[in-house]
Amino acid sequence: MSVTVALAGNPNCGKTTMFNDLTGNSQFVGNWPGVTVEKKEGRLRGHKDVTIMDLPGIYSLSPYSLEEVVSRNYLMNNRPDVILNLVDASNIERNLYLTTQLTEIGIPVVIALNMMDIVRKNGDVIDVKKLSHELGCQIIETSAIKNEGSMQAAEAAVKMAQSGKKTVPHHTFSECVEKALAQIKELAGNCIPQENSRWYCVKLFERDEKLCSQIKIPSDKAAQIERVITACETELDDDSESIITNERYEYIAKIVKSCVQKKRRTLSVSDKIDRIVTNRILALPIFVVVMFIVYYISITTIGDIATNFMNDTLFGGWISPAAESFFTGIGTADWLTGLIVNGIIGGVGSVLGFVPQMLILFVMLCALEDCGYMARIAFIMDRIFRRVGLSGESFIPMLIGSGCGVPGVMASRTIEQDRDRKMTIMTTTFIPCGAKMPIVALIAGAVFGGAWWVAPSAYFIGVAAIIVSGIILKKTKMFAGEPAPFVMELPAYHIPTVKNVLRGTWERGWSFIKKAGTVILLASIFVWFTSSFGFVDGTFGMVEDINTSVLAAIGSAVAVIFVPLGFGNWQSAVATVLGLVAKEEVVGTFGTLYAVAGDALGMVEEGDFGGLGNIAQHFTYLSAYSFLLFNLLCAPCFAAIGAIKREMNNAKWTWFAIGYQCVFAYAIALMVYQFGLLFSGAGFSAGTVAALLLFIVLIWLLVRKGYNENNIRLRASNVVRS
Amino acid sequence: MPLTFAAIGEQATVKKIAGKDGTRRFLADLGFVVGGTVTVITEIGGNLIVSVKDTRVALSKSMASRIMI
Repeated sequence: MSVTVALAGNPNCGKTTMFNDLTGNSQFVGNWPGVTVEKKEGRLRGHKDVTIMDLPGIYSLSPYSLEEVVSRNYLMNNRPDVILNLVDASNIERNLYLTTQLTEIGIPVVIALNMMDIVRKNGDVIDVKKLSHELGCQIIETSAIKNEGSMQAAEAAVKMAQSGKKTVPHHTFSECVEKALAQIKELAGNCIPQENSRWYCVKLFERDEKLCSQIKIPSDKAAQIERVITACETELDDDSESIITNERYEYIAKIVKSCVQKKRRTLSVSDKIDRIVTNRILALPIFVVVMFIVYYISITTIGDIATNFMNDTLFGGWISPAAESFFTGIGTADWLTGLIVNGIIGGVGSVLGFVPQMLILFVMLCALEDCGYMARIAFIMDRIFRRVGLSGESFIPMLIGSGCGVPGVMASRTIEQDRDRKMTIMTTTFIPCGAKMPIVALIAGAVFGGAWWVAPSAYFIGVAAIIVSGIILKKTKMFAGEPAPFVMELPAYHIPTVKNVLRGTWERGWSFIKKAGTVILLASIFVWFTSSFGFVDGTFGMVEDINTSVLAAIGSAVAVIFVPLGFGNWQSAVATVLGLVAKEEVVGTFGTLYAVAGDALGMVEEGDFGGLGNIAQHFTYLSAYSFLLFNLLCAPCFAAIGAIKREMNNAKWTWFAIGYQCVFAYAIALMVYQFGLLFSGAGFSAGTVAALLLFIVLIWLLVRKGYNENNIRLRASNVVRS
Repeated sequence: MPLTFAAIGEQATVKKIAGKDGTRRFLADLGFVVGGTVTVITEIGGNLIVSVKDTRVALSKSMASRIMI
C-alpha cells in the first residue's frame, strides 16, 4: 500500500533538515523562517511506496499567509494518509499551538519531538509518555540535525497510516465554548463531514470565510449559528477568533506545566550574543566589520589565489596548450582550432576563473545564514531600509546578489508582501554582482590608471540606485503603501554545519557554473564566428580586418543608440549587448574586438593592465564612466532575467522590471555624460537639453507627492457624506 | 502602555493587542496573546527583539506599538 506522509510544523523547526534526512535529498536549509515556500515531494529512503511531502512552515492553519494557504489546501484537499508533525521541543508551547489544530482535521497525526538535543543540553526534562497521553498522539523523540530518530518517526507514521487508526483530539475548551460548539454541530447537521466535524465546528465558530464559502448551510440554520456565536462572544467579552486562540494557548499552558520541567535560567547564550550584535550602537559597526572580512577573504586573499590558479595554471598552462597541440596534431583546419582554443576554451575558461571567488563568497554567506546572523542583519537593516520604502528582509537578496544575481533574485521569495517582493526583485540586481566586477576593474585599471575610487563608487552607485528607485517606485500607485511591518522569528544561534553550508554553496554556485556551460559557450562561439567572418568585395569569407566583419556591421547599427551616452562605437555596442547575455562577456568581447594580445578577462582578473592600452585609447574618462554606469545598472544577464521571470511569474511584470532598469540606466548615463561634457567646457548642445529635461523629471519623480491610498479613501468618503 | 516603552529585560504581561484582524491573528499565532508574558531582549531605534513563549521574535516599531502591556 502506498502511503503519503506530510511533514508539517512551525517555520524553522527542522522540517527541511528532516526531509533531507528521510529522502536523501539535498534541499538547502536556511536558518531563518520561510525557506520552504512551495511544498516538495520525495521518496522515503528504502521504502519505494512511501511519499514524503515537505510543507512550508506554518504557525497555524488560519489562511493568513501564502504558506498557510499552501499547507492548508494540501491537507484539506489532498488528504495525506498521515501527518508527521514536527514540534520544536525547545520551544514547545508555540509549536503545540499548531498541533492542537492538526489533530482536529481528521488525519492521523504522529509527533516528532525535534531538537531534543538542545532540550537535554539546557537541562530541561519532558515527560514524553504523559505528553503523548494528553495529546492523543504517538510521540517520537528526534534530533534531525544529528540524524537521530528521523527514520523511526517516519516509520511510526507509516505504521499509523497502515493501521487505519484515527487521531482523536483530546483537548477540550472551556465549558461555554464547548457548549457553543456542540450547538453548532447540531445545527450544521449533515452539511459538514462527520469524520472531522470538530474542525468544521471550530472554523464555523471562528467565522472562517474560506471554509464557510465551501460548505452550504441553509440560511435559517446559519442565522441560528450566528446567534450561538454572538451569545458566546458576549459571555466571554471577546471575538470568536480570539476566544479560540486563547482557549488553545490555555490548554497548552496546562499540559506543558504538567509535562515539562524547565530549568530556571537567566539569559541564554543566544540572548547574550543578541545583546551585543543587535546593540543600538554596535550593531552597524559589527555588521560592517563582518562584511568587510567576508569580501576581503573571498575577493582579495583566498579568492585571488584560486582565480590565478584557474586562469594561469589550469586553463592557460594545461588545457589550452594541450588542446592546441592536440588539434594541430590530428590535422584540424586552422579556423576550427582557432574556434575551439581561442573562442570556446578561452571564453568559457576565463569565466570559470570566477568560480572559486564566487564559491568562497557563498561559503561565507551560507555560514552567516546557517548560524543565524543573516536573520539579525535583516532586523538591523530594517530601520534603514524602511526609509526608502523597503523592508529589512530585502537586504538578504541584495547581499547574496553581490555574489551572483540569480540566487539573489531567488532569495527574495521569502518576502511575504507582494509589492515588497516585486520591488526587491526589481532593485536587487543594481548591486554589482561578481561578473560585473571585471568591467569595473577594466575601467578603473585601463582607463583611470588604477584610481582607488572607481571600485567603491560602483557599490555606491548600486546602493544609490536602489534608494532612488525605492523612492520613485513607492510614489507610484502600484507600490504605494507602507512596507509590511517587520515581524520575524529569530532562530537561536548555532554553529553552522559543514554539510548544510556546502549544500547551500553548491546550490547557489551551480547556477553560475551552468551559465558558463550554456549561454556563455554559445555567446563565445557567436562572437568568434561573427567577428572572423564578413563580406569583403561582395564575397563572404574569413576577414583579416575585424572592421569588415559581420559583427562590426551589426554593432554599428546598434551603436547609434549609445551616441548620446558617449560610447557610440560598434565595439562598445557589441560588448554592451553581449553583456545582456552574460556580464562576463563584456571584457572578453573588448579583448577580441580591440585585438588585445592574450586573454583580456584573465588580465583584468589578475590586475595586469599593461596589455589593455588598445581598449583604453578608445575611451575618454567621461565616456568610460558613462559606459560603466550603463552596464552596471541596465538589465542583468540572461540567467538573472530568467530568475526575475520565474519569481515575478508574470510576463508584464518581468518586462516592466527589465524596462525600468534599462531606462533608468540610460537616463543616469546620459545625464552624467552630458553634464560632464558641459562642465568640461564643451558648450551647450541638444544632448545637454535632453539631460536637463531628464534631470528635472528625475527630481520631480523624487519629490512629488506620492499616491496615497488613504487620501483617496478619505476623499471617497467625503463624497459619500456630502 | 505599548510594548515599545517596556524596560529591557523585564517581564511584562500582554493586556491588549490592537490592529486589524489579520495582524492580530498573526501576532497570536506567534505567541502574543492577552495574558501571556513577553520580555524585551534588545531595542534598536524602536525595533525590538522580544522573548515570547520561549522564542525570539523581531518586531518593527509599528508592530510593537500594537501590543499593550
